[in-house]
Amino acid sequence: MANEILAEQISGEYKYGFVTDIEADNAPKGLNEDIIRFISKKKNEPEWMLEYRLKAFKYWQTLEEPHWAHVSYTKPNFQDIIYYSAPKPKVQLNSLDEVDPELLKTFEKLGISIEEQKRLSGVESRIAVDIVMDSVSVKTTFKETLSEKGIIFCSFGEAVQEHPELVKKYMGSVVPYTDNFYAALNSAVFTDGSFCYIPKGVRCPMELSTYFRINASGTGQFERTLIIADEDAYVSYLEGCTAPMRDENQLHAAVVEIVTHKNAEVKYSTVQNWYPGDKNGKGGIFNFVTKRGICLEDNSKISWTQVETGSAVTWKYPSVILKGDNSVGEFYSVAVTNNYQQADTGTKMMHLGKNTRSTIISKGISAGFSNNSYRGLVRIAKGASNARNFSQCDSLLLGDKCGAHTFPYIEIKDKSAIVEHEATTSKIGEDQLFYCKSRGIDNEKAIGLIVNGYCKEVLNKLPMEFAVEAQKLLAVSLEGSVG
Amino acid sequence: METITKVNTIKDKLIAEFESSKGSLFGDLSIREQALEAFSKQGIPNRKSEEYKYVNMELALKGEFLFSSSKKLSAKQIESSQFLKDAIVVVIENGKFNSEHSKINSLPQGLQVFNISDAISNDAFKKHYSKYSDVNLDPFIALNTAMSIGGVFIHVAKSAVVETPIHIIHLTSVSENTFLNSRNLIVVDENAQATIVESYEIIDSKAKSFNNAVTEIIVEANAIVDHYKIQDERDFGHLVCTTQSIQKKKSVFTTHTFTLSGLLVRNNLNMVLDDEFIESHLNGLYLTNGSQVVDNHTLVDHRKPNCNSNQLYKGIIEEKSSATFNGKIYVRKDAQKTNAFQSNKNILLSDDGTINTKPQLEIYADDVKCSHGTSTGKLDEDKIFYLRARGLSEASAKKLLMHAFASEVVGTIKIEALREYVEAKISKRFE
Repeated sequence: MANEILAEQISGEYKYGFVTDIEADNAPKGLNEDIIRFISKKKNEPEWMLEYRLKAFKYWQTLEEPHWAHVSYTKPNFQDIIYYSAPKPKVQLNSLDEVDPELLKTFEKLGISIEEQKRLSGVESRIAVDIVMDSVSVKTTFKETLSEKGIIFCSFGEAVQEHPELVKKYMGSVVPYTDNFYAALNSAVFTDGSFCYIPKGVRCPMELSTYFRINASGTGQFERTLIIADEDAYVSYLEGCTAPMRDENQLHAAVVEIVTHKNAEVKYSTVQNWYPGDKNGKGGIFNFVTKRGICLEDNSKISWTQVETGSAVTWKYPSVILKGDNSVGEFYSVAVTNNYQQADTGTKMMHLGKNTRSTIISKGISAGFSNNSYRGLVRIAKGASNARNFSQCDSLLLGDKCGAHTFPYIEIKDKSAIVEHEATTSKIGEDQLFYCKSRGIDNEKAIGLIVNGYCKEVLNKLPMEFAVEAQKLLAVSLEGSVG
Repeated sequence: METITKVNTIKDKLIAEFESSKGSLFGDLSIREQALEAFSKQGIPNRKSEEYKYVNMELALKGEFLFSSSKKLSAKQIESSQFLKDAIVVVIENGKFNSEHSKINSLPQGLQVFNISDAISNDAFKKHYSKYSDVNLDPFIALNTAMSIGGVFIHVAKSAVVETPIHIIHLTSVSENTFLNSRNLIVVDENAQATIVESYEIIDSKAKSFNNAVTEIIVEANAIVDHYKIQDERDFGHLVCTTQSIQKKKSVFTTHTFTLSGLLVRNNLNMVLDDEFIESHLNGLYLTNGSQVVDNHTLVDHRKPNCNSNQLYKGIIEEKSSATFNGKIYVRKDAQKTNAFQSNKNILLSDDGTINTKPQLEIYADDVKCSHGTSTGKLDEDKIFYLRARGLSEASAKKLLMHAFASEVVGTIKIEALREYVEAKISKRFE
């Protein structure tokens, strides 16, 4: 019985697997200095930006692809990727009416109805969305409303043009291009992304959101997000990702940087649902992302929340550098892998300031033939007195062909630190299932209930709009996976 | 030893040494040559290699080394290391079996003790020697397999119950820088029982010693083995200590590692649970000070269903020392109904000390209960306050708490004389 449900579920189609028929403006395949100059020229970038890219490219050429993660895949051929693909009808847009209707349909399919949001702009609860399709930011909503408060929320390309001093000051300050292989690659070839600056004392009145979509085939998506919260500022930022179904593996290598100043707080939530490949493990996105935030000054806070259900191979570690005294870092994660998906994800908490605190809650769920690893680092530097960390990483195994792994690194150099780490691995208890079933809840719903309960700690941290989506995603990814 | 060609790296030196001395080494040369090949592939690990991230082996192996030592200890010096009064004593002096000082003349029934280089034609030896410690897994295992100069082979026959502990005393005493490779093989047959104590000490040594020791322990079906390692190489010994165990059906193997001193101590504990209904316990205590580096690696490989493993490692870190615990529980696809637990607790008492812990789970079976927990902190202020309110000085309150912390591990020692010995060592240390 259970196997039937499982089979049915696994064969369930990826909901976001459509391709939008929009003509794209592509760069030729391959990577060399000319391509970088081409991208830079396309983006009409100033000289310093091009120099930065070229420096990064030079450095990237000296690097070797890392292979320490607990994942196996065929290396992407970096000369076989299109590094620039822009939806073609890109003229200056003044209103939504001028946007290509095909594009709007795409967003409707994705469940982001820009039109509706425009109409409801008087309503209290809203989300400002920046949509990045094939590496290029297509439309940012609610820009005017935000600018009244002095908030800058725009595409990265625009920020380079209009706020070069901010971009110059902060870009690469958290993730320098020398950081790792994919960060260097991204620094060289990034095409667009989101930029967000919250000025002093401003509490952003709405959730800011970026929606990433890979559309064209053979492309890689390399976007860059930079969020700066000045003193006493607050922002909650959402990120969503989808991609069409393709037989080939597409590469997504993004960089996200967050900087918080005194008393500022940034909450970054991700629902990652890139195409995970089919049930035989063919196709799917390689998601190699560098995400890092720095609590630059005292009393600031950065919180990462992620729900990872997509991608063939995921490799990401949203991190926090706790530099300011009394700063707080948080990481809440649910990672689900099914079929032949592989995920190696976790976080790094670097305690440098005094009285810094961090919390890590990671819930891994693996089903099918998948492998799900938690890899995390907690480092308490010398002099980071009274640092406190609590980590909990639980794994749930559904089926006997999957794997769940935990690789925590804990490095402590201060005697006043208190660090705790706990991890468990188990399956859904027969008694739990029996309890639910004896109360008339069928097998499938019972599993849904138990899994949702298991992830509750993390799902609770998501903003309302996302929490609903995340719960649905979990149900879709897992229903009937055990029996 | 004369230097014929100019060799640059430590690796080259070791390979050259093997080539020049291989004719005089005991046992099957093909095993040694295979191991050397595995070593030359791996080389001496540097700080970039994941498994040796926190110990600087390149630094420890810098300079010139001899590969054996002719220095002899007096009977009196050796006797001072025999802290177990009623034990069967085996002395390994500078990596070689010392028959003169070993007390193996009247052994209990079923127990055989050989100089390992005399055991090469023994059937049990041939069956098990170098079959389980994987030369491709670790360069030090490979190096030891290639270059071992001596050691002991212990065989406990079927159904023999050896009640007297067997005490293997590893003594190092060198007058020039020396790199020693010693190798022990312990085979405990079906339904047999044995208690093995291995101690590592340096006596009257004037130069740097690097001891690379491998002990393989085979625990056959229904056998029960208790194994203890007491490492006390003061503040200048370098010790890489690999224990490889393999267990068969319904066997019970308990191993304890007490690291009391040593400049650099690396323990590799590889346990294979190769059948059903096996029980394994791993206990460890490390007390570090000065500029000591202690690195404990454990790998518990659950290959078959219905087995239990339990790990408890505790450490107290003082001064500029650094301690690492890296434990891996590996549950294979078929190993359903596995219960595997791991706990690592540390107390850091100085601002210059470092603790690195990496408790890992790698699990491929779904019907398992596995957990690990680790915590690191200082001594509990509330507890100190409680004791001080009852009239204890701060120093003695701390001492009491450290004793209590260590006693969880010390309490697992089943031999009373050994427990007293370790307790006395710890008390002295905390003074």
